[in-house]
Amino acid sequence: MSEHKDDERFAKRAKHLFDESVQDIDGQTQSRLNRSRQKALSEIGRRPAMGALGVWAPATGIAAAAVVAVTLWSGNRQPTDIVPPSTATDFEILLDEDSLEMLEELEFYSWMDLDGDAGANVG
Amino acid sequence: MNACSNVFAVSCPGEQVSGVETLQREQELNRFLAEVEKRALRIVEISIRDRDEALDLVQNAMIKLVRKYSGRASVEWTPLFYRILQNGVRDWHRRQAVRKRVIVWFGASSNDEPDVISSAPDTAGRTPQEQLESREAMQGLERALAALPGRQREAFMLRTFEGLDVAGTATAMGCSAGSVKTHYSRAVHSLRETLGEHWQ
Repeated sequence: MSEHKDDERFAKRAKHLFDESVQDIDGQTQSRLNRSRQKALSEIGRRPAMGALGVWAPATGIAAAAVVAVTLWSGNRQPTDIVPPSTATDFEILLDEDSLEMLEELEFYSWMDLDGDAGANVG
Repeated sequence: MNACSNVFAVSCPGEQVSGVETLQREQELNRFLAEVEKRALRIVEISIRDRDEALDLVQNAMIKLVRKYSGRASVEWTPLFYRILQNGVRDWHRRQAVRKRVIVWFGASSNDEPDVISSAPDTAGRTPQEQLESREAMQGLERALAALPGRQREAFMLRTFEGLDVAGTATAMGCSAGSVKTHYSRAVHSLRETLGEHWQ
């Protein structure tokens, strides 16, 4: 019985100290708590709207992704006049020895081109 | 006169919550949260020893309570709020355990800052000596509480500090009333043993 009373007395003392520590909470912390409370309370009005959005958000996302996929897919299938360059051909040109020689003598060919034009005008 | 003719009604048939009811509920929730927030903060702070983190956990619990349970009867709010809060505290401890493992793995040192004691003037009219004694006693209690197993600490703080009854504590802890009694009893004996006779 005495043990039980001692436990009660202990709990009472602990509670008293705890309450004092609650009273000692500084103004800045109280202000933060107040802001937290206001933020939480602002959720009341927002709750149904968020709920509706939450339900439809995945479906909307999937639908949007499907539209984008279909657009891209059908866009790729449209015939175009522009023939894309073949990557293999590009490599062949680059690796061709003659092409490399031509690149080395680019200035000469450029001069030839200008000279030819000038000659044509003279002639 | 139907519900839609009420100028304060924000919803027509199909939605039951009117503007007046929403306002009343908001005021009730405001009163409840204002009444409980400081004790909740201290309880979490004692559990995790970090005021900033404790403030974040309290804010999250407030938001979750409002979002999920604002429609419940107000008498249910206290155990529900503390249940959300205790879950948050447990998650926090799990995350800390993982973080500590990562810190040990990379050999970094933790940067725990010591608790800062508030230098604000005493509002209860205590002398500086009394204030100091109270703080020292509370710090001793907090250290002893920190050394307890988590469930015992929860049971003790909810029963003693928040004043929840056994049923409310059981709801908050998500366990049976019998478990609450066992955890609480073990906590008190362990604390008394740790703090010694002089503390009382």
